[in-house]
Amino acid sequence: MDLTSKEKSTWGLLLGIVVVSVYYFPQAIDAVDSAAGSWRLIGLSIAGVIALVVIEIIYHVIIAAVSPREAGEDERDKLIDLKAERLAGFVLGFILFWIVGRIIATTAMPELGEPSVLMVAVWILAALTASEVVKLLAVIGYYRVGN
Amino acid sequence: MAATQVRNHIRKLRFARDEMTQQKLAEQVGVTRQTIVAIEKEKYSPSLEVAFKIALALGEPLDAVFFYAPGAK
Repeated sequence: MDLTSKEKSTWGLLLGIVVVSVYYFPQAIDAVDSAAGSWRLIGLSIAGVIALVVIEIIYHVIIAAVSPREAGEDERDKLIDLKAERLAGFVLGFILFWIVGRIIATTAMPELGEPSVLMVAVWILAALTASEVVKLLAVIGYYRVGN
Repeated sequence: MAATQVRNHIRKLRFARDEMTQQKLAEQVGVTRQTIVAIEKEKYSPSLEVAFKIALALGEPLDAVFFYAPGAK
């Protein structure tokens, strides 16, 4: 595949986020229910950020070493970014709307169970992660179709 | 994504200019080679500024490089 450095970077970020998320979110949901929930969640979050940064550094060092030098971000890259961010914005808005709806629904239907503050925090983080994944997938898709 | 209605003769003009490579054109214009590929395949309409730069690099007036073909394709 003929990829720009921006596309390679996007693939790396997507890979990093997916790898970290697959580990992080099940652990985070588990931590919410544990006795030392907030401290475990803080620890997990710090570990997650460090893991993501390390994965990205290693990936970009490898990419820089094996790829030829090329022009930085051009107008097409910026346009693709904007279109992808617009899509990600819709996804983020939709999930946040669902979270707000879920919290409000608790008052009308107590049988749903009131989510803890920590659980809401995990949901919001999951919403941010999902919108970022959608953005990265959209960027890759737009590059593949030409625009 | 639908193909653009802004058509071009970039490929023909590159070959007329001593088989200029897409990479060389990209370097002269200041975009990535993949952007030149997308423009050449008429999948992406460049900004007016980039269009002028491409025409300048190919040594042709703008309308000899790009033309508008509404309804084509």
